[in-house]
Amino acid sequence: MTLTAWIPLLALMTSLLASLVIFALPEKGYRLRTAVNLGAAGLKLALVAVMVWGVFHGVEYGLSFTMVPGVEFVLKADGLSMMFAGLSAVLWLLTTIYAVGYLEDSPNRARFFGFFSLCVASTMGIALAGNLFTFFLFYEMLTLSTYPLVVHRGTEKALKAGRTYIIYTLGGGAVLLAAIAWLHGVAGDLPFKEGGHFVDADPDMHRSLILIFVLLVAGLGVKAALFPLHGWLPQAMVAPAPVSALLHAVAVVKAGAFGIVRVVHDIYGLEASSALGLLEPLAWLAAFTMLYGSLRALWQVDLKRRLAFSTVSQVSYIVLGIAMFGPVAAVGGLVHLLHQGIMKITLFFCAGNYAETLGIHRIDEMDGAGRRMPGTSMAFTIGAFGMIGAPPLAGFITKWTMGTGALEANMGWVVVVLVLSSLLNAAYFLPLLHRLWFREPNGSWPHERHWGRLETSAWLFWPPLLTAVMTVMVGVLASLPFSPLSWAELIVLREYYPDGS
Amino acid sequence: MAPEWVLVLLAVCLPLLYPAMALRAAWSRAMRYALPILPLPALVLALGTEPGWQLDLPWLLNGGLWAMDEVRRLFLLLTAVLWTVAGIYAAGYLAAHHLQRFCVFWGLTLAGNLGLTVAVDVGSFYSFFALMTFAGYGLVVHEGTDEATFAGRIYLMMAVLGEMAILAGLLLGAAAADSQLLTDLPEAIAESPRKDLIIALLLAGFGVKAGLPLLHFWLPQAHPVAPTPASAVLSGAMIKAGLLGWLVTLPFGEIALPGWGSLMVAAGALGSIGAAMLGVFQKRPKAVLAYSSISQMGLMVLMVGAALADPERAPILVSIIALYALHHGLAKGSLFLSAGLALPSGRLRRAWVWLLVALPGLSLAGLPFTSGALAKLAMKEGLSGDKLSFALAGNLAPVMTAGAVATLLLVLRYLWTLTGKLEIGPNPPMLSVGWLAAVFVSLVAFWWMPWEAEELVKSPVWLPATYQFWALLWPMLIAVALAAVALVASRSVKQR
Repeated sequence: MTLTAWIPLLALMTSLLASLVIFALPEKGYRLRTAVNLGAAGLKLALVAVMVWGVFHGVEYGLSFTMVPGVEFVLKADGLSMMFAGLSAVLWLLTTIYAVGYLEDSPNRARFFGFFSLCVASTMGIALAGNLFTFFLFYEMLTLSTYPLVVHRGTEKALKAGRTYIIYTLGGGAVLLAAIAWLHGVAGDLPFKEGGHFVDADPDMHRSLILIFVLLVAGLGVKAALFPLHGWLPQAMVAPAPVSALLHAVAVVKAGAFGIVRVVHDIYGLEASSALGLLEPLAWLAAFTMLYGSLRALWQVDLKRRLAFSTVSQVSYIVLGIAMFGPVAAVGGLVHLLHQGIMKITLFFCAGNYAETLGIHRIDEMDGAGRRMPGTSMAFTIGAFGMIGAPPLAGFITKWTMGTGALEANMGWVVVVLVLSSLLNAAYFLPLLHRLWFREPNGSWPHERHWGRLETSAWLFWPPLLTAVMTVMVGVLASLPFSPLSWAELIVLREYYPDGS
Repeated sequence: MAPEWVLVLLAVCLPLLYPAMALRAAWSRAMRYALPILPLPALVLALGTEPGWQLDLPWLLNGGLWAMDEVRRLFLLLTAVLWTVAGIYAAGYLAAHHLQRFCVFWGLTLAGNLGLTVAVDVGSFYSFFALMTFAGYGLVVHEGTDEATFAGRIYLMMAVLGEMAILAGLLLGAAAADSQLLTDLPEAIAESPRKDLIIALLLAGFGVKAGLPLLHFWLPQAHPVAPTPASAVLSGAMIKAGLLGWLVTLPFGEIALPGWGSLMVAAGALGSIGAAMLGVFQKRPKAVLAYSSISQMGLMVLMVGAALADPERAPILVSIIALYALHHGLAKGSLFLSAGLALPSGRLRRAWVWLLVALPGLSLAGLPFTSGALAKLAMKEGLSGDKLSFALAGNLAPVMTAGAVATLLLVLRYLWTLTGKLEIGPNPPMLSVGWLAAVFVSLVAFWWMPWEAEELVKSPVWLPATYQFWALLWPMLIAVALAAVALVASRSVKQR
């Protein structure tokens, strides 16, 4: 095997091996476990960085072997996989740091970190999967490895949420598997290919292709929390904060959205999807989900629940972006894959900090927390403004690019949806910020802890601050090479002009 | 590296350090006394560099370009000067109540307000505008009273709606121009099939900030409840950001838009006269001043309308608008700052203070030898009916006269409400210095500022000709007579 085959495999294996080592380590091996965790996360980040550099310069990373005749296991690094892998690698490192601080002194940490690494390994596999079968393999592995994390607390509420989660996702998985098998029967084993496979599809196949597409999107839409398949997500927020952070930013919802991008771009191809009339209904569904999620978020009094409904809304930006037939709109959707991750993880980190440091869970308990925890609250403020789409933050770049793309694609109604969605985001985030900074605290905090010099434990303090800085930087420096925006442009360039013309 | 580079980056980035400083409580003293230092790089930039420089920032947002032309220079100068004097004032004025929080929002608002005057690409202009708007909320609600919270809520709701209208307008404009530069927008909007929609969105979006009638109602609530130095920058400088937004995006000089022009002329007339009618009934000094700002903005809207309707006259009108904005910003700033003074106990010294309080007000009304006289004469010249060709042009003169009467009435009303409010006692030294600096800038330093507009206003024509004297004075006489009647009437009502 050559180096170009080893690197993606190694990137996958770092988290997988870390997971096995952690399971083997004793519960009390706190230092060693942390070292393994951080070491693996750092190594993976380096490997992904190497691949990003290589993919940019046209190096092809990948390997494949035949599982059973007709079914191949394929790993391949293209622009799109690097986007997801990069997100996963960066946020894994930060979330691990955060989780170490968050779970200090709590039971079952070995189990937690084992599944945590397994979950990250799955996202890496999803990112690098080179065909639908491989994708499905890791997609299901993700389901199974996140379940123990959701129910980690072991409370009745957590178990109930876990049950809902597993029913939704396994159901979605079954539909997805059926669709993949059907597609396999119709068209054989299809590797992900820029431009897709069905540009010149036989008209006789159209009907089955349309049905398969609906099934694929339904199967993937469960994890992407598309309306009406989003029900599990707000319940799953009973999980510990680092899990919610990872679930909402990288792992689960992103895997669904990423899968939809793969299907539209690299299986069907944008042109064929559009010709089959599949994109417009998808765009309407995504637009509806955007507004629906935000409307529901308005009424939530629990902070994490409000953030969860906000995720329902925000992930649909990605789907809407690729469902508009046009390169600029696609850039807007793809870039949100990263932007949403960075912003949402900031918000969940902060929600965790409020809960761990002050015992705050409900929104009406947040009054005056800005003065007690200025660093966390600044990060939260930046994340919230990013979600609203205020310039110059990450969310603005998404919104501006998608808006420009919509006008270019003659879909002016999308601009109206974007504006409405921003208004709703403002309506449910700005009152929170007002509480944080301008209300006086109501007496004492529900459950306050002190950590000495910093406002909270250093493990919890720095990750949200870093992701908040990233939220600013990916917006302000959007035109630098290797920024999310530039990378999304590169992907779309290769998608729309696969021959490199 | 050229000096402009350093100055611009300092001007925008220096205030952004404040949030980091706020993480340490020990820094609060430094933050308070650094308030007047923050706008200094911008001040040097406005006074010390010649217009025409530009900075390419290709890595910024969708490609950044910052530059300074004649009009932007006046807005930058106004902004920097006003924030400097208000900063000096604030250093003396502020109480310990949430001091660091106030300083952070002050710094962020300042960065936005300065940045937007030099931003030429759509992305950074909109970014700075939004930063100013949202950080400004922190200044409005700072006092924490129910009244401030309520005013803040209206401010925020209108601000968000305004931001969305601006976003949609800029998005459509940039798509039509296929460019990310504001300079390409006017021409593209003029030729776009969607031009009416774009113009409507931009007029309304920036109109929220500029206090356009019907979109103005947040303004008399929000400007007065802020701490006094913040009121001064809100009403003096930030309100002008909406005006600048119009000037840099709308298709002035490209095509004749008699419909939009007439609408804006009507809105300007309504604003300048209607705001005065509401303002004279206000009981709190700063509320009177806020209505006066709407009224004055109405006069500027009048000129915006004429410039939209008449592309020939648009360039000259734009420079008059900038001059007027400079004059009004400085005078209104010092008027607002005077609302927080305490009076000295000596009779003679008190008379001096009253004189210095009144003079910027009289300048607003067009007292000869003041910046107001210059601005008013320039406006009269620019809007004279025989030079403009659109339907409502003939009605401009009476509106301007009524506006002049309204202006002085409001100033008199302000002084009247102030008499009962000012206490006798010492002022913190920095507060006095800040206020005196504001008065000095408005009355004296103004004459050295680079406001000369071609073909029209040239220094030193500040000595008006005899017939101009009369033109300036007779509306003021009407206002004084009206005020006297009102005073006598209110006395006689009270006696019964």
